[in-house]
Amino acid sequence: MTATLQTTNIQNATSSTTNLALDTSGNVTVGSSLTAANNITATSGTVVMASSFLRNKIINGGMQIDQRNAGASLTPNNQYTVDRWYFGNSQSGKFTAQQNAGSVTTAAGFPNYLGFTSTSSYTLLSGDQFYLRQAIEGFNTADLAWGTSSAKSVTLSFVVYSSLSGTFGGVIANSAVGYVYPFTYTIPSTNTWTTVSVTIPGPTAGTWVGATNGVGIYVYFNLGTGTSFSGTPGSWQAAGYTSATGATSVVSTNGATFYITGVQLEVGSVATPFERRQYGQELLLCQRYYEKSFDVNTAPASASASAGAFEFAQQVGASTTQYGPSCKYSVAKRAAATVTFYNWNAAGNQAVNISTAGNTTGLTLRSSQSGTTSYSITFTTPSGTSAGQGLSVMWTADAEL
Amino acid sequence: MYENAQYIFSNGKNDCIRVDINGVTSFVPLDEANADFQRIMALVAEGKLTIGAAQ
Repeated sequence: MTATLQTTNIQNATSSTTNLALDTSGNVTVGSSLTAANNITATSGTVVMASSFLRNKIINGGMQIDQRNAGASLTPNNQYTVDRWYFGNSQSGKFTAQQNAGSVTTAAGFPNYLGFTSTSSYTLLSGDQFYLRQAIEGFNTADLAWGTSSAKSVTLSFVVYSSLSGTFGGVIANSAVGYVYPFTYTIPSTNTWTTVSVTIPGPTAGTWVGATNGVGIYVYFNLGTGTSFSGTPGSWQAAGYTSATGATSVVSTNGATFYITGVQLEVGSVATPFERRQYGQELLLCQRYYEKSFDVNTAPASASASAGAFEFAQQVGASTTQYGPSCKYSVAKRAAATVTFYNWNAAGNQAVNISTAGNTTGLTLRSSQSGTTSYSITFTTPSGTSAGQGLSVMWTADAEL
Repeated sequence: MYENAQYIFSNGKNDCIRVDINGVTSFVPLDEANADFQRIMALVAEGKLTIGAAQ
């Protein structure tokens, strides 16, 4: 025997909120989250979501792209580590950084992480700052409507591991780092991967850049910060803090480690599973900010790799100024890029004549002819060379925020 | 760290800045959206860096 249950709402017996609302057109509205043990299928039409695919505003949150270092260890000094992740410091030489540092068992589902190791038991000064930071471009944060009455909340989630336990800190900040939300989180057990989620209410005040190629939001993770840059967690405030008061100082313990991966910043108050993009997609996203002629897994250096070199014809005779050519980027840049040249045949930054191994002189960027889609060069051709011979040079282009 | 900054003259004007960034010589366009250009100008304003004239 079958029967039809006719009702308008279905509600938990102890709740005051409707779980399911049924209308006269066959539609069902779910009052809150919908969890399925198996698939959710739309037999026609589409699945529409307020916070849709590509919801993670963090790029390279899984730390798998490392174009600058190709997995090698570095002692960062106010510079990028893996792609899109900048290490800032007020004192140099206090950390080493490396993709998959220490080779610990990775967090489930995350083959890569970014690791920092403290190199001393440094005592923080009040004005010290040591942090890991990602700047999110304004074009990718304008939908949050921050600084307006319609500001949307966001949830930051990540997976973290440290040789220290306790309370750690970070900050969400505007482009000027003058309007900030310090937050704390807990690592309960040492040397154990811990998943963390922090929900940040949308700020209705503060100055935010909107839909531009400037910094929309900074996300900071603290590794040691003095009192001058530490603020009370849990509220938006007009201050230049880069951490939360009381956060553990990793830099103050020699050999202490801090590993992180799976970073996601998304609209709403719920941390959804980490958005897994294909490797090629993540690389393309990174290349808006940094691109190189070198193979992805080759760190830029002179007198080194030539695979991927920009090669072009010498258009004039020996010891003569040549203007151009231009080199097209694979991905349009956020802004006109800082360009660095590498001679693959010798030390220095000159192009090499493939026939004679002679080097150009005065190789420079032609900035006026360079933009977000390409760069152009000028140089003086090597002595003893001829028009029609080949020239070759390696390069990087940095358009980071 | 930015060191040894110098303008490069081209097209009848200062065209870019040659500068050593963490020991590596790079070329920075005179683009206010370029982060290196922003930091160089901030260092100049703070008196911590001088950009040499083009040769």
